Amino acid sequence: MGDVLGIVLKRLGLGLITLLVISILIFFAVELLPGDIAEAVLGQGATAENLKAMREQMGLNEPAIVRYLEWLWGAVRGDFGVSLISQRSVADTIGPRFAATLFLACYAAVIAVPVAITLGIIVALLRDSVFDRVANVLTLTSISSPEFFLGYVLVLYLAVKNPLFPALANVNFQDVGTFELYYKTFLPALTMVLVVVAHMMRMTRASIINLLASPYIEMARLKGTPAWKVIVKHALPNAWAPIINVVALNLAYLITGVVLVEVVFVYPGIGQLLVDSVTKRDFPVVQACCLIFAATFILLNLAADVGAILTNPRLRHPK
Amino acid sequence: MNYFVIGYYALLIGASCLAAYYSARTVFLLLFSLTLVSFIVGIVGGESSLWTITICAGLLALFGGTAFAFREFLAIVLPTEASKAIKTAPLTATFGLFVIMTYAIAGIFAPIIAPYGEAEVIAGAFAPADEHMLLGADQLGRDLFSRLVFGARNTVGIALLATTFAFVLGALAGLIAATLGGWFDQLMSRVVDVIMSVPSLIFALLLLSILGTNAFVLIVIIAVIYSPRVFRLTRAVAGNVVVMDYIEAARLRGEGLWYLIRREILPNSTAPLIAEFGLEFCFVFLLVAGLSFLGLGIQPPTADWGSMVRENATLISFGEITPLFPAGAIALLTVAVNFVVDWMLFRSSGLKG
Repeated sequence: MGDVLGIVLKRLGLGLITLLVISILIFFAVELLPGDIAEAVLGQGATAENLKAMREQMGLNEPAIVRYLEWLWGAVRGDFGVSLISQRSVADTIGPRFAATLFLACYAAVIAVPVAITLGIIVALLRDSVFDRVANVLTLTSISSPEFFLGYVLVLYLAVKNPLFPALANVNFQDVGTFELYYKTFLPALTMVLVVVAHMMRMTRASIINLLASPYIEMARLKGTPAWKVIVKHALPNAWAPIINVVALNLAYLITGVVLVEVVFVYPGIGQLLVDSVTKRDFPVVQACCLIFAATFILLNLAADVGAILTNPRLRHPK
Repeated sequence: MNYFVIGYYALLIGASCLAAYYSARTVFLLLFSLTLVSFIVGIVGGESSLWTITICAGLLALFGGTAFAFREFLAIVLPTEASKAIKTAPLTATFGLFVIMTYAIAGIFAPIIAPYGEAEVIAGAFAPADEHMLLGADQLGRDLFSRLVFGARNTVGIALLATTFAFVLGALAGLIAATLGGWFDQLMSRVVDVIMSVPSLIFALLLLSILGTNAFVLIVIIAVIYSPRVFRLTRAVAGNVVVMDYIEAARLRGEGLWYLIRREILPNSTAPLIAEFGLEFCFVFLLVAGLSFLGLGIQPPTADWGSMVRENATLISFGEITPLFPAGAIALLTVAVNFVVDWMLFRSSGLKG
């Protein structure tokens, strides 16, 4: 096992370095502004005193590297500074919204993962049949559609023409019961499920077909093993790695795809906050949101890699 | 039960029996599973959902017919070499080609096709469709159809420019990295790793918040975000070519870097690169549309599909379908390009059967 542990640790370290580089990127991207934050926020008409006061307040007079280290140290402890617009603590603004986004992503994932993997395996077993072709066209269509198209189609048919679900999901987490929460957020969740299932199905299908083409499966078949046994005993142990990979990658996709869906359904998540802050040029919030998104993305990609390493039979049972 | 429902099931079951009789296995499977699905859908959704299925089937048949006719047309018009290739193309691919051609015509001849200008106010806000306005008016009273046509020029044009730029950037860096190797290769690969580990939409939002939104900035940002994919592919493909003997021979002849790239490596790695261009275009196009939808992409009054969806979204709550047209136009083009790319990948990979 020492071998595996080494590989995993190496991968974790690499992830950490990537995150660090990205935090540098996010912080210093703002430094690229013509002038500085104070000038960008106060605009053309700012007086010298105003600028000076703002620079003083934001600590802009210190060198960039010092501010970066302070920002990073704050971010590690969950303190992202103060919003330029509302003057509230960024962490307080983001916290509940991030929880809301995670809830939506989990909701979608819980539906999407089992459905997608089952369908993906079925389609892989039925490859080159009609079902496979139909599924191919359908999933391709779903992937190619922008999320807001799927979202509005669902709103039109499931909320307006047949009023089954509410069209807007601007829920207030304190005021609604559990059941109502699931009911109100069903359409955004379904939109994401549609996109993610399509992605996941295609990836599962590809990896399973890849696996079934390998010589040892052929060997198992030739020696007369029943079909189900070939799948369960021979194919599945090797299939875990690609499947875990597929799931983690798609969860990462969910986290970013959520931005458009949240805007369509006016869901109070972090994606909507990010878009609003970009429009208002509220840089501390933008930086914090980007860092959180990037961290989640890297973490899930990391999980995919680590999962693949841990489930790889060749690594678990070294010769 | 009425005549429609009875006729619907009679037609489906009759057709599947006929298919089974002539042992057309594929057709039978398709028709019979449609029958089974209709049972469930019919019970849950009632007659209207059966109508929806019928309309979808009709549309599908129409698409199939168009694709078939277009394939025959291309097979006659094109020279022998290309005509042979097109004859074996699946219907989905020729359908994709047809859609792409339609969009291209709409984009190029937009001012001639569109009855009104893209920013011309001609009616009241959200005026319904009449004989002058095919799809009605938008939130400012501009003709929606004209804006849709102009959108083909603006949205697709920006996406194409950004893709081309990303391609030149990524492919050039990839080719140089593969040919030179060493520190340049290492440096570029690490840079690419970092760019790819941030979700593209988030990265675009971050950069747009800093640099502001205008068309030029948008194109550059998207090109930078999407060039890593091209870089990786080009580097991998060119890496396989670089180790060939003829490259070694050319090096021994004393050819320079630029000659190697242009005359030896590039001609031998075009096939996967062209397919990648199509895929890349889809990603870029969806990102541009998404950004415009968020109000951060192409700015008004320029007609653009993403922002048109956003501006007219209120109509959806009145059961109007018009805001879906621009969104559908985006989806249709992406699907079409994907179909064509699928076919090209299939051809270049040499997989048959």
